[in-house]
Amino acid sequence: MATIETEDLTKFYGAKRGIEDVTLSVEPGEVFGFLGPNGAGKTTTIRTMLDLLHPSRGSARLFGLDSRRESVAIRRRIGNLPGDFGFGKRASGREALSLLARLRGIEGGGRAERLAERFHADLDRPLGELSRGNRQKVGLILALFHNPELLVLDEPTSGLDPLMQEEFLALVGEERERGCTVFVSSHELDEVERVCDRVGIIRDGRLVAVEGVAELLGKAQRRVSVEFAEPVDAAELRSLPGVTELETADGRVVFRASGDLDAIVKALARYRVTDVEIAHPTLEEVFLTYYEERL
Amino acid sequence: MTALIVAQLRDRRRSVLAWGLPLGLMSALVVAIYPSVEEALAEAIRSYPEALKEAFGIGDLSNVEQYLEAEMLSLIVPLAAGYLAVRSVASGLSGAAESGRLDVLLSAPVSRRRVVASGFAATAVELAAVLAVSLALTACGSWLSGAGLSLGAALAGFANVWPLALVFAALGIVVTGASLRTNVVTGSVAGVLVAMYVADLVGRLDPGLDWVRYGSVFRYYGAAVEDGIDPLAFGGVTAVAVGLAALGALAFERHDLTR
Repeated sequence: MATIETEDLTKFYGAKRGIEDVTLSVEPGEVFGFLGPNGAGKTTTIRTMLDLLHPSRGSARLFGLDSRRESVAIRRRIGNLPGDFGFGKRASGREALSLLARLRGIEGGGRAERLAERFHADLDRPLGELSRGNRQKVGLILALFHNPELLVLDEPTSGLDPLMQEEFLALVGEERERGCTVFVSSHELDEVERVCDRVGIIRDGRLVAVEGVAELLGKAQRRVSVEFAEPVDAAELRSLPGVTELETADGRVVFRASGDLDAIVKALARYRVTDVEIAHPTLEEVFLTYYEERL
Repeated sequence: MTALIVAQLRDRRRSVLAWGLPLGLMSALVVAIYPSVEEALAEAIRSYPEALKEAFGIGDLSNVEQYLEAEMLSLIVPLAAGYLAVRSVASGLSGAAESGRLDVLLSAPVSRRRVVASGFAATAVELAAVLAVSLALTACGSWLSGAGLSLGAALAGFANVWPLALVFAALGIVVTGASLRTNVVTGSVAGVLVAMYVADLVGRLDPGLDWVRYGSVFRYYGAAVEDGIDPLAFGGVTAVAVGLAALGALAFERHDLTR
């Protein structure tokens, strides 16, 4: 049984579309990345899955339970970090933790202290006095302290400094080892690439693709720049499969490449190469690939 | 649910003092000055038109209890308590939605109905605490000035405000079921509070317009300081408040939580 299963999940805000026909499945123990630009529908999908928004049509099941009718039973088993976490200005992280622990029937704070130490989080200051990053750390602790079976994280690293982002990515890996399923939304390709097993791409409210991370990056267009020590036949390179937008200048050839790079590398190897740069695909380049596939 | 109520009450500690102290001090002052104004007041009241006296519940003002009723418990305390009630439920629900607190709470295994019920219960306790602080200060004022206020009558007067204010808390929940904007909830219910007060006043001033009072909860408020608490009105108004809160909870359950 899938941990998360949505079928034609659709949410309209009046006449405005939030998400439409989102169908996806996340298996137990999987780290699933939900990738899309701001406003694509990531948060709407998460909030609809968690019964904070009611679907206009379609359904979501978590642990096989209906997200609307059995939402309390579902929430017993999940940890959720909402996007732009907040808990009012006056309450401290410890007060929020104490309330959530009581609502979950957990004595003490579970593993909150260990997490606070790890993330250098201040649980005693009022949340209104904390920076966005420090508030986000408290939010992460509240989502994790009770060892949930499913972690739902909406843009979890936003506001975190690079060191804490690393710590977070390591933690997600540990959660996977513990057997936890993780659903993480992001607009950072790097982050998703490093921790996720599979990725769903959403744009304009529609799920464009669901792929393994390796397949996703393999398909994505990359910008390749090659410097040669001798003249090259640009027309030959241009005709190679997956090569587009090829330009030459001062002994350097720059082009976009997608799909299997084997033929391209072999063609380049026939010349004397002095420098090669293959830029990591950006999120937009990944999207471009999938849009071209759909057209 | 107790955990939710306790957490909300902890947040509202300041509010109990912020509202209870000024209301209590004003009431204490009213009671304390009564012995020195008693004579002049009786003379002035005799010159008031009957309709005006009827409208504002001004009797003879021949004792301190009636003076407290006329000066504080017929207008200022019920309006302030009604406003406090709606402000409290609005901050506990729509305010919590705006700040993100509700998202976090509803990540825990607790139903929306319980969140609403705890907000209503916390407001009921908060109101009781504000009225108790006001009563205590009023009693102190009487004791210090030797005004001789009957504690039983004052208790009835302040206690009678509680169900009335709860109705506005419940109306706040009903509006929250339609809008999660704190300003919308507070503003619209405060408008209803004033409109109900005015409707009751107009109905009392003009017997021909008595029917408008049926739409106002103030019709059932009475003058508990003089007449004691009417158990039927007290229980009925409380039941209406609970019923409205339950309706509001159902509406809130169907509402999308947006920020």
